[in-house]
Amino acid sequence: MLVLTLLTFSLSFFFPGEQIINVTGQIDATPEQIALIALDYNKHESLIMQYWSYLVHLFNGDLGVSMASRIPIMDEMMSHLPATIELTTVALIIAMVVGIPIGFIAAIRHRKKTDDIILAVSMIGYSIPIFWLALLAILIFSIQLAWLPSAGQISLVYEIEQVTGILFFDILFSDNPYKWQAFQNASVHILLPACVVALAPATVFVRLARTSMLTVLDSHYIKAAMAKGLTFQQLIFRHAIKNAMVNVIRDVGLQFANLVTLAMVTEVIFNWPGIGNWLIQSIYQRDYTAIQGGLLALSSFIFIVHIFTDFIYASLNPLARGIKYGS
Amino acid sequence: MARDKTYTEEEFPSPLVQLWHNFKQSPAVMIGFGCFIFLVLLAIFSPLISPYSPIENNLDAILLPPAWHNDGDVSYLLGTDNLGRDMLSRLMHGASLTFGLSFIVVILSMFVGVIIGSISALTKGVKSSFLNHFLDVILSIPSLLLAIIIVAILGPGLSNTLWAIVIILIPQFIHITRNAVVQEFKKDYVLASKLDGASNIRILYYSIYPNIIEKMISQATLAQSAAILDIATLGFLGLGAPIPMPEWGAMLANGIDLFYIAPWTVYLPGLAILFAVVATNLVGEGMRHALKVRKEH
Amino acid sequence: MTVTSASQYFRILVTLSAMFLWGCDSYKADSLSERSLIYCSEGSPEILNPQLVTSGVTVDATSKQLYNQLIAFDVATNEVTPSIAKSWHVTQDNKKITFYLRRNVAFHHTQYFMPTRHLNADDVLFSFNRILDPSQVFHDVSGGKYPFFDSVGFADVIESLEKINEYTIRFNLKRADSSFLANLATDFSVILSREYAELLIRSNRLEDIDTLPIGTGPYKFKEYRTGSYIRYEPHTEYWEGQPKLQQLIFDITPSNTGRLTKLLAGECDVIGYPIAHKKINNNPLLTLEDVTAFNIGYLGFNTAKPPFNNKLIRRAVAHAINKQAILDTVYFGDAKAESANSILPPSSWAYAEDTHDIEYSVEQAELLLTQAGITDGLTIDLWAMPVQRAYNPDAVTMAKLIQADLQKIGITVNIISYNWQEFLRRLALGEHQSVLLGWSADHPDPDNFFTPLLSCGSAETGNNRTFWCNQQFEKLLQGALKITDVEQRKALYREAQKIAAEELPLFPIAHSKRFQARKISVKGDILHPFGGISFGGVEKQ
Repeated sequence: MLVLTLLTFSLSFFFPGEQIINVTGQIDATPEQIALIALDYNKHESLIMQYWSYLVHLFNGDLGVSMASRIPIMDEMMSHLPATIELTTVALIIAMVVGIPIGFIAAIRHRKKTDDIILAVSMIGYSIPIFWLALLAILIFSIQLAWLPSAGQISLVYEIEQVTGILFFDILFSDNPYKWQAFQNASVHILLPACVVALAPATVFVRLARTSMLTVLDSHYIKAAMAKGLTFQQLIFRHAIKNAMVNVIRDVGLQFANLVTLAMVTEVIFNWPGIGNWLIQSIYQRDYTAIQGGLLALSSFIFIVHIFTDFIYASLNPLARGIKYGS
Repeated sequence: MARDKTYTEEEFPSPLVQLWHNFKQSPAVMIGFGCFIFLVLLAIFSPLISPYSPIENNLDAILLPPAWHNDGDVSYLLGTDNLGRDMLSRLMHGASLTFGLSFIVVILSMFVGVIIGSISALTKGVKSSFLNHFLDVILSIPSLLLAIIIVAILGPGLSNTLWAIVIILIPQFIHITRNAVVQEFKKDYVLASKLDGASNIRILYYSIYPNIIEKMISQATLAQSAAILDIATLGFLGLGAPIPMPEWGAMLANGIDLFYIAPWTVYLPGLAILFAVVATNLVGEGMRHALKVRKEH
Repeated sequence: MTVTSASQYFRILVTLSAMFLWGCDSYKADSLSERSLIYCSEGSPEILNPQLVTSGVTVDATSKQLYNQLIAFDVATNEVTPSIAKSWHVTQDNKKITFYLRRNVAFHHTQYFMPTRHLNADDVLFSFNRILDPSQVFHDVSGGKYPFFDSVGFADVIESLEKINEYTIRFNLKRADSSFLANLATDFSVILSREYAELLIRSNRLEDIDTLPIGTGPYKFKEYRTGSYIRYEPHTEYWEGQPKLQQLIFDITPSNTGRLTKLLAGECDVIGYPIAHKKINNNPLLTLEDVTAFNIGYLGFNTAKPPFNNKLIRRAVAHAINKQAILDTVYFGDAKAESANSILPPSSWAYAEDTHDIEYSVEQAELLLTQAGITDGLTIDLWAMPVQRAYNPDAVTMAKLIQADLQKIGITVNIISYNWQEFLRRLALGEHQSVLLGWSADHPDPDNFFTPLLSCGSAETGNNRTFWCNQQFEKLLQGALKITDVEQRKALYREAQKIAAEELPLFPIAHSKRFQARKISVKGDILHPFGGISFGGVEKQ
């Protein structure tokens, strides 16, 4: 985490223009104001002191103001990050719910036709460029079939006040008379982008689940259980799935970084008001303050999910815990 | 006069040759490999064989659909775009940009990565552990995000995109080289040559590299498929190749405005990217499979 | 056995997704969305007060939605008709104009302002004094620039503004100005609330006057999020009668394809600047409409800096551009746009028929370049505007065509584009070398083309993007304003067009129509020949 802040801090030097302006985003400030800000950021002292005051500002939630919109970066992020969390979470769930069972099926039918087909399809799913997929999805599901909307988080007709930032919660907590209509509308809106984001990770989950299941099926305790006369179904559902799942969970964290990248591109195409969309707009506008903030936010988000999945894994798998704490 | 062999020597094929033996077992992989070779050739020779110029406008033939369509024209096999440029020629040139450049990018970053990785494998202590942690951070940031940031620093443009992708691929290679080298160093044959008095560099060059090269190649295919997608994505987002260049991602972005008038300007570049990535992945898949088979024997 | 469990699993999945789709069906029958109208617009307004800008995006979003003017243009005849002023009187010498105001014009009642009185002469006085009087508190708020009024020399024309009584107001002019009434009827001359301004002074939030607007228009402002949407509510006490919609939303969608997608997918009711006209015409649920707009799309040269301070290079570039190709490609080639050879469209009465078009000739261009001393090539920046306007539906493609054309005479072109707000800001600072831009007239008077685009006054404000200031040309413009006789004015404008064609500060490309597509369920006039769109009389069936 600290290395990350170091990275973003050094970014402010790499970007074109004045470093102090890049950090704070005060492009219209007069020279006197700049001098004041420079003092605030210990600009006249050593680099280490400058870094330190940068950290202090960071912990106070001060990331400067956006060069383009003049809104504090922190506020911008707070209004965009939840939408990304929502999209990635739903996508992750879809990817797991679809990918893992298919992977298990492939493993159970190892070296049969089903397995081959699943592998081939997952290979294509993994290779498909996300932006192309998104466009095709819009063409098929929004235009041809007219089932799902093509852009945005919810129809603008509904006016939902932002409280938590997570739209679904906001809708449920609001006292809007059209609450349920809004809720349905929001669900329909998230479906298409989430499926698009989910496709590639789902194929990865297929592979992970397949490998993991194969290892489990090959293990001694399964063979022992089989020798005891358990039916195949009992074997799979009672023993194998649980153990195979544990291994898959471990990789969820790693997949998440991938998922966020995909979400960034998808957000642009589906006009999703998330942080990826915002970040890419910031790049178009050369809003360096926003780029630093966005990088920091996205990477911290991924970090937190990493740590979180590690915990889940540890709590599910006594073996891993044993190694970690060296009991 | 040729000397008769005194002893019947058992030929030990080199690791690469062994790999090739296992590699060519699967037909799917061979198809992928064929496609891969085809793309490489296309990337090299596209300027010679493409029928039209990829950037010059031809306003007499705007938005022609592909030849199989009723209004299509056989001389423009895959149709034309809104400036009358032949799609086929653009796609062919795109092969050298998107695919060919990704190839070069991967080789560059592999070269740098292997050197740094080997050095770090041989050093110990604070320096090495700092490098390790630094790499962990870099690897935890999504590669595309990092590429976008680097492009933001350098400014948009094709060459900047390429540098960005080289930089983000290097850590992967450092990581894998380091691990592989450390692993190999523990093996007996390295100890043997050490006892012979070979220097570290000599050991690296003669004993270790031949044994880890296949791992590198397998990682390189992974990196290449990522590189193709990244170049295309950056092009699509308008941060990569500048406007007239027939880079596949940028072509696709250009086609979006014509999506409803001329859908082929969107379908074709997308298919091209898909084709290139699938071919690369098939090769990589076959490589990993062959590696596994060899390890098992 | 495993197969059955797997198929069970999939059955659940299918059921779940079916539930979603069912949900989708019920939302279509939804009553709220039936009474709301979503307009997909092409860009974000920089501010919510048209006095301060000339950009069409802002005018579309504010002028006829939030505000009213003293007088307006009739949709059918283009003549000046009553609006807030129910009638007016002009003296013989054209120097005194008296307006008689309506008495029942209510201001918006919102969460941030509750009006206690109806509109009266004080509000009109306040609105114009903001522009005219540098000592007024609000004059310098939000930048303090009034580009439209500066460009027409508003302050130089008006001697004084006089309040006769509560509902009567008089403009005393220094000299006769034949375009004055038309200027007052444009989208820029909106009436603000003085009572609201006083409230803002008391609470020291002066900027809010342009970001939390209060007007008298058919809709009142609810919420604006830059880059995503603007939300309006109907103004229930609107003097022309309450609007029939329960909600009006501007969904800001800069991408051409994005807007069309939203229209086809039913997420927008009306979209501005549609592409793929055929696709829309083929859809029985959609309709495409157009209006003949007074406009010009041009390539502007920044004459204040090299290389385009050299007339020869400007002319060389103009000769090298294949205009017909641009018309075919960018303007869809369907005769909806006509090639421009003057700034004025041929339908204007002041159009000079004898203006010669600059022919497309690479040799001529090369010759001129050599004369200008350019032998080893040149690299220029070409700025392409990022939004779609009727006069230029796709500036980036146009830029690409020009790039290819200029390559032939050894000029390398870098195409540059920012987001719209940033683009305009940098343009006004003169950072560009050349720019693809255009102008939509705000009223039928020919002066509305010349003065804003090419006068010295607007070169100072940055609205004249060429920064060209020619004394002779300027004199002709001033002269034409002072007289009312059409034939005399015509002669002066003819002369002016000749100078502009010779000096070529900008290269006219096309005059075109403005398009809009909507669902057939949306009724009412939205497009107007001049200025912005209006949703006042629109309803959904």
